[in-house]
Amino acid sequence: MTAGDILLQQAINGLSLGAMYSLLALGFTLVYGIMELINFAHFNVFMVGSMIAMLVLQAFGLSGQQTILTGLPLIGVLLVGFIVSMVGCGLIGVLIERFLLRPLRNVKGPAAMITTIGVSYILFNLVLLTLGTDSKNFPNPLPPIKWEIGGAVLRLREVLIWVIALALMGGLTYFVTYTKLGKAMRATAQDPEAARMMGVEVDRVVMSAFFLGSALAGASGMIFGLYYNLAKVDIGFAAGLRAFTAAVLGGIGNVPGAMLGGVLIGLIESGSGQVIGAAWTDVVIFGILVLVLVFRPAGLLGRLAPNKS
Amino acid sequence: MNATATAHPSAALTHQQRSLLLATLAFIFFTLLPQFWDNDGDLDSLANAMSYATLALGLNIVVGFAGLLDLGYAAFFAIGAYYYGIFTSFQVMPPWSESWAPLAYVGLVEKINQGGPDLVHFTLSFWIALPTGGLVAALFGVLFGLPVLRLRGDYLAIVTLGFGEIVQICARNLDWLTNGAAGLNGVQGPKLFGYRFGVHAEPYYYVGLVLVAFLVFVSFRLRGSRIGRAWMAIREDETAASAMGVNLVHYKLLAFAMGAAFAGMTGVFFIAKLQTATPEMFNSAVSSMLLVMVVLGGMGSVWGVVIGAVLLQMMQTWFLPQMSVWLHDIGKMTGSPMLQNVDMVQWTQLIFGVILVLMMLFRREGLVPAVRKVAPLTMEQQTAHVVRGGFQGLDKIGRWTPGTGVALDIKDVVVKFGGLVALNKVSLQVPEGGVVAVIGPNGSGKSTLFNVITGLVAADSGSITFQGVELLGLAPHRVLENGVARTFQNIRLFSNLTVLENVLIGEHARLTTGPFGAVIRPPSVLKEESRATEWAMNIIALFGNRLTPRWDQPVTALSYANRRRVEIARAIASRPKILLLDEPTAGMNPAESLELAEQIKSLHDLGLTILLIEHKLDVVTRLADNVIVLDHGDKIAEGLPDVVRKDEEVLRAYLGRAGGH
Repeated sequence: MTAGDILLQQAINGLSLGAMYSLLALGFTLVYGIMELINFAHFNVFMVGSMIAMLVLQAFGLSGQQTILTGLPLIGVLLVGFIVSMVGCGLIGVLIERFLLRPLRNVKGPAAMITTIGVSYILFNLVLLTLGTDSKNFPNPLPPIKWEIGGAVLRLREVLIWVIALALMGGLTYFVTYTKLGKAMRATAQDPEAARMMGVEVDRVVMSAFFLGSALAGASGMIFGLYYNLAKVDIGFAAGLRAFTAAVLGGIGNVPGAMLGGVLIGLIESGSGQVIGAAWTDVVIFGILVLVLVFRPAGLLGRLAPNKS
Repeated sequence: MNATATAHPSAALTHQQRSLLLATLAFIFFTLLPQFWDNDGDLDSLANAMSYATLALGLNIVVGFAGLLDLGYAAFFAIGAYYYGIFTSFQVMPPWSESWAPLAYVGLVEKINQGGPDLVHFTLSFWIALPTGGLVAALFGVLFGLPVLRLRGDYLAIVTLGFGEIVQICARNLDWLTNGAAGLNGVQGPKLFGYRFGVHAEPYYYVGLVLVAFLVFVSFRLRGSRIGRAWMAIREDETAASAMGVNLVHYKLLAFAMGAAFAGMTGVFFIAKLQTATPEMFNSAVSSMLLVMVVLGGMGSVWGVVIGAVLLQMMQTWFLPQMSVWLHDIGKMTGSPMLQNVDMVQWTQLIFGVILVLMMLFRREGLVPAVRKVAPLTMEQQTAHVVRGGFQGLDKIGRWTPGTGVALDIKDVVVKFGGLVALNKVSLQVPEGGVVAVIGPNGSGKSTLFNVITGLVAADSGSITFQGVELLGLAPHRVLENGVARTFQNIRLFSNLTVLENVLIGEHARLTTGPFGAVIRPPSVLKEESRATEWAMNIIALFGNRLTPRWDQPVTALSYANRRRVEIARAIASRPKILLLDEPTAGMNPAESLELAEQIKSLHDLGLTILLIEHKLDVVTRLADNVIVLDHGDKIAEGLPDVVRKDEEVLRAYLGRAGGH
């Protein structure tokens, strides 16, 4: 492989990782934009999404990479996998918001953040106790179609991941730009007080943000499984930290920013894995987070979040 | 005023004495415990509980006192541990040369030969490592803290989470230094006068006990000092803390370093006891367990976190295993294979999560709350006839005679928020010893004017000098040090602190006690504290029996008007030369407003220069020599109160019509 091929290959890998991180970052950004809360539960909602997707695919009789589907059955199985993991995670998000965070909405200090940390442990350990710590084989029914571009390989799964991520992001962008609820969300992010006075139902807006963000985490979890062919209880932390970095890099609270940030972080991860070694990727990502926070806290596209002071 | 008998700070001593007595009894009990409880396993478990208690005490300084959520606290624990491990094991052995000889002479290293060239073997003594381990960890605390402590609190949480992870990654991957995942082996145990501690738990138990006692003592001393008050002020309201003279970066770093030092010392102790160190001992599960201990016991509560640590340690080493045994027995009796195989210890983390969530929902202050419940005032005290306060104690507040020149000089100040011009080339002067009022409709830029003077908002151009010192560009705490104190329109008191504590924080910039003075409490510090308290009580007495009987109440228990008074008291406590009052009478009834106006007048008579924002024209007329009118960021009028009242442009701005009719 020439240097150019390696670069292209890492770009392909990076874009796939980036698609996953973008979807995950959107969840952070939606919630932070409206409530100024870092939702640590999001890390493990993502992991639960991946587990749900795995269980759905297994329920279709798929296991490992032996069963290959094509045509309508493939589309159907994938569609059901995505929908169930997204709705499942969305409901988890709504439950967390309604019963654990809403009572703390007007409490000053770190109470809400500590609650999300607690929820994160609970999700993690419930999966741990029921499904175990071992790495599980995530069923992948995609046919092994691949295209060679120079020395680089583009597989069907990567194209699929891009298409799904683009569709979801397009849907979300349409939602926040044109629908009434979406506009209410943006208004609340700008100025919760003014939005409330203009008749925005803040409870509904917050709950929608949790539903949408968590649902996207579910989709992201399914993509993780399709990309790596595995599901494991501890995937939430690394992916979550990258996604959060992506959200901050793009400008927290900023929907296009989260997408851009996710793609950049994906590219950086595959690049640094190539150059420095995968063991240090977390350190690189984290260094970026600190640098952005210190030197450009508004991120690349600008911060869009209420300033509670 | 029958309240005086009970309403003096010395009354608090009884509470302190009681808690001191309990602490002494607990210490004696735990000292004697090994004499009648000779079970090595239990003592070992208790020694571990003590390690966690010291860690929780350190985390409590960061999270509980200063309000900085640190999710990677175990990193400092690891740093202390590896520091001791590396300098007492055979992991790092540079080649021997004669330049090592002096260190060998004092016993820090020894020359060894393992077949090959002579090598250096580090043999750091445990007793040196314990304090220096704290210092090393504190140094890392400063290093980590410096770039990130300027960040908003919620970002800090995720950044510390990352730090915790990075230290672990380093421990796992820097094989030459840490022996990677396999961990350090052959770490030396402590020796004392030639006696080797060996593998029995008892000596470690005693070291742990002394360490806990020491750190409890340090925590209490810090909490009740100028340092602790500054931390708690930051926790309650950063903006107000900095406006009251607290250097935010400095005190956050101090909290971070102090917490790290506790963890570093514990790391040394922990590793000396285990005589091995692996990366897994310091993973994020440890950080989360410590957070649970602090939350369970009560953030900011010293005894609370010790009890939280002991409870959770007991849960893990005794209760859950015991419960598994019971469940197995029940399983055998009922023939249920599920119950026979259940291992409750695996549930630990799940239980941690549940504890966090339940505590936040139902008992945020923890099992042993830091804020003591104060008995409510008696009916008699509550309904007592209002007595105006005296100014006898404050005669030193005025520093010069009025009419000697310009004190505050604001020239062409411009402040823009994006496209909005909040202040448009505003100029005004406050003469020394003068009282100037700023009036104007809502949104005219009055509060922005105060914010730009006190350094909370940056100006785009212009200059603001106070007694010849340029204030623009100074951090809020530096502005206060120069003698400019303020109150806020939307009261910003430190909610969970008492009236006295709030006022004492106002004095922060005029006191000098540092962390060592706070812990050792030499006579000079004691004297400073008692003078500070006396000064604070004098200022509280300024408002007569409105605040004095309530000095020990948390400010949240006060009425709205009393909270305003506390805010003014807090500002005066800083011995300002000029007082900036932002709508001091807002929310007060006419009688209260006039009472406060008279009190402000008295302060002015003592020599304070005053700049105030006020809507009530009778208050303005009564107080001000000069009135400035702002509208949409422009100064539209200036003059004597009676003249300004009739100014046409002012009437238009206020009433929307050409005035006079």
